[in-house]
Amino acid sequence: MSYFADKPSLLADIFSRYPATPQGRRSALMPLLREVQDAEGFVSEARLAEIAQLCGTTATEVRSVMSFYSTYHTLPTGRYHLQVCSTLMCALAGSDELWDYLVSELDVVPGEVTPDGRFSVQKVECLGSCGTAPVVQLNDEGYYEQVTRTKCDRLLAALRAETPPPPDHPVPVTVREDGRQMLASGERVGASVADLVPLGGEA
Amino acid sequence: MKVVVDDIELDLPAGTSGLDAVFAAGRDVPYFCAHPYLSPVGACRMCLVESGSPRRNPDGTLVMEGEQPKIFWFPKPMAACTMQVTEGMHIRTAKTSDVVAKAQAGMMEFTLLNHPLDCPTCDKGGACELQDRAFEYGYGASRYGFDRRHAEKHFPLSDFVILDQERCIHCKRCVRYFEEVPGQEVLDFIERGGHTFIDTEEGGLPTGFQGNITDICPVGALLDNVARFRGRNWEYDHTPTTCTLCPVGCAITVDARNGRLERVVARENREVNEVWICDAGRFGHVFASEERLTRPLVRVKGELREADWDEAILAIRRGLGGLNPADLALYLNADSTLEEGAALEALAELIGTPSVDHWPRYGANVETTATLTDVATADAVVVLGADLGEEAPVLELRVLEMLRGGILPPEFPHGTAIADLRLVERPTRHPERLAVIGGAPRLSAHAGLRVTGGQRALARLLRPDTDELRAAAKLLAQAKKPVLILGADVLHSVSRELAAGLSDLVTRTGTKVLAIPAAPNSRGLAHLNLVPRAGGLGYDRLAEARAAFLSRLDPGRRARGFTIVHDTHLTATARLADVVLPAVTGYEKRGTTVNLEGRLLPLRQAALEAGEGADLIRTLTALAEALGVRTRIRGLKSAQALLAERLGVDVTDLPNSGVIRPLGRTFTAPTGLTFTPRLWKERMHPNPERRGSRVPDRADRIATWERTGQAGGDD
Repeated sequence: MSYFADKPSLLADIFSRYPATPQGRRSALMPLLREVQDAEGFVSEARLAEIAQLCGTTATEVRSVMSFYSTYHTLPTGRYHLQVCSTLMCALAGSDELWDYLVSELDVVPGEVTPDGRFSVQKVECLGSCGTAPVVQLNDEGYYEQVTRTKCDRLLAALRAETPPPPDHPVPVTVREDGRQMLASGERVGASVADLVPLGGEA
Repeated sequence: MKVVVDDIELDLPAGTSGLDAVFAAGRDVPYFCAHPYLSPVGACRMCLVESGSPRRNPDGTLVMEGEQPKIFWFPKPMAACTMQVTEGMHIRTAKTSDVVAKAQAGMMEFTLLNHPLDCPTCDKGGACELQDRAFEYGYGASRYGFDRRHAEKHFPLSDFVILDQERCIHCKRCVRYFEEVPGQEVLDFIERGGHTFIDTEEGGLPTGFQGNITDICPVGALLDNVARFRGRNWEYDHTPTTCTLCPVGCAITVDARNGRLERVVARENREVNEVWICDAGRFGHVFASEERLTRPLVRVKGELREADWDEAILAIRRGLGGLNPADLALYLNADSTLEEGAALEALAELIGTPSVDHWPRYGANVETTATLTDVATADAVVVLGADLGEEAPVLELRVLEMLRGGILPPEFPHGTAIADLRLVERPTRHPERLAVIGGAPRLSAHAGLRVTGGQRALARLLRPDTDELRAAAKLLAQAKKPVLILGADVLHSVSRELAAGLSDLVTRTGTKVLAIPAAPNSRGLAHLNLVPRAGGLGYDRLAEARAAFLSRLDPGRRARGFTIVHDTHLTATARLADVVLPAVTGYEKRGTTVNLEGRLLPLRQAALEAGEGADLIRTLTALAEALGVRTRIRGLKSAQALLAERLGVDVTDLPNSGVIRPLGRTFTAPTGLTFTPRLWKERMHPNPERRGSRVPDRADRIATWERTGQAGGDD
């Protein structure tokens, strides 16, 4: 079943952000992937082919772009998708040990979901929080920082009880309609396009 | 533009890449990702050089250092393939710069970091650029003692191409090839960084031009499945020759080992196929070494029995005894060489038979004025009733080349520019320059203007009755360098009236015409009188002939009387014949063929085991002997001498790239048959494993190396 067939206005909105040229159509690839992933948790092969057709390209190219980013998934993820930063700073601070502990504790490897559908795990590249290493990200929501074994146990217990603790640091979610960034907590940060002033003062 | 490479001063055209500057200076720099007909991308980082340029003061004068302009060197080595040389630039290669030598050796060490070093068992060994360059430019030792990363091995991308992901060094040549040349984006990098591998999501490679990636892969990651593990590069006898499967006449190298044809690889002919060949040309060669007829066969008591040539000649003499030699009809395949055609023409005249024909051919000859380079550099192309995939595949690539701007890489004394900076990834294409009318299903996907229905296409184009046809006619009228390509659907029904209309169109619009001949050498053989003369029987009336000689034709019928078949295999027709004479394939002939542009191209003989197989000239000499006549042509030399007389061309010493020469008048006659072009013949079957070539069956292969699920975007 097609995902976008009954969403013409959404498609029109996404494509309207890019030039109406063959190259422009291809540029819509990422938001289309994001749309599917947000809705279904991962991008299946059928969706991949559907997006390729919408963008006027091949499924190979969609997979190529998609596989470049660790934030897109080709396999279903659990309700709690735990992403452990594995880049140098976190590795020095013990992320390898944390990963081993997490994997054996949950009895799950990348690409798998626990039988109750709750957990999946993934190593990711730098999450940009070296000062608070090692870092674990929960879904798209936020970071748990300086995750020791005790903290990890606490986190898993909370997740098993379906009460995810608030993240230590919400992830910035970019680009609201006015171009302003917003934290997951809803706090507005930074400037928006409305704040831009032409060079040389007021136009 | 003055450029200095390793203290050698050069004068180079503007736009030259650093890589070509180095080669122009006679120096060497290693490279894996650069390729003359693909965009330079600087992916492999092997072609590092030190470079520096003079700088100007604010007043426009050069910053001087004593008498000379001061050279400001870039702080680090640069990739020469993506760097354009500028006036006064200095370049240092590994020969003069220790920095470059160290950087290249380090880069080589890095490239080999996860390469599996399968060299003893990899079938690219002996032809592997990585192996050669590691030997020339590497440290000779690695500092990395850990286990290498492992990826999929022996991964069948298609029936013809095997991928070994471990060996891939990410030069991206195959990815760029599919994007830029046939315009099929079926391969790409999946994953990133050290995890990157090549794969397709389309479930396989498209048939047509997939084999070219096995030529351009600089390592053993992509291998020709038909040829792999048949021999090492140094064991092959390499014969540069011309492919005679279609009228394009691509330059190929035929690799034979122990008398077997094991591999066909593409060779460069800038004017014809650049460096690409089609899959039929590359993979459809198994017939040359399989189930060949190696001895003559003579029908004794209703059955074909092996015999020697003397017995065969005797059988022919007996069979034709009491028959007027003029009743012997002579038919030859239109992929025969000019020399063979001349020999047949001479014999036909000698015995006075009016029944001479060649097949396949069309009932009328349309004059071709365009070359393949004209097609590639045209600003408008109209393809009329042609299925290029079946008739002339590489012509399709030249049309696609036109769509991306018709940029032909310049030529240097060291060869075609290795990194032409005008070629870019994902080039802008101009589909509005191409109209496809009827036929050509694959090409129409790239055309801005598509009209279905190839029948009567020429008549309809000359008198456009729909808006689309009017647009196509306008395309020709408004372009500066238009080309009209005519295919089988049009050519088998060209009447005198149509030909007049076409010539009117050509004069009015300055359009160049490329009519695709029916067979590999139809264009050349049309200049010899090889059509039925008055009272003669054409090939379509073979069954009426009192006696017939057929060279490599398989109509599945025989003549009314005595039938002699000259063929490479025991075909259906050969089974019906009275005498079967063994022939040689196009890979084992010496001679000349004429391609669709009218370019004379040389054929050379590969070292194949053909038993007592003989080419048509020798066979006709034997036939003449059986008939008791003495023909003037008894070998290649005399045939070439006759050609010089008949056509006014010297074909004895043709260059590899061929030459275009006028060949004089053409002979035509109506034909009662309709020709349907088909590139792949039964014996060249697309599934080589089905033809007993001992390549494991695809199902077996998949069972052996079962494709495991990819984790996709997750690590």
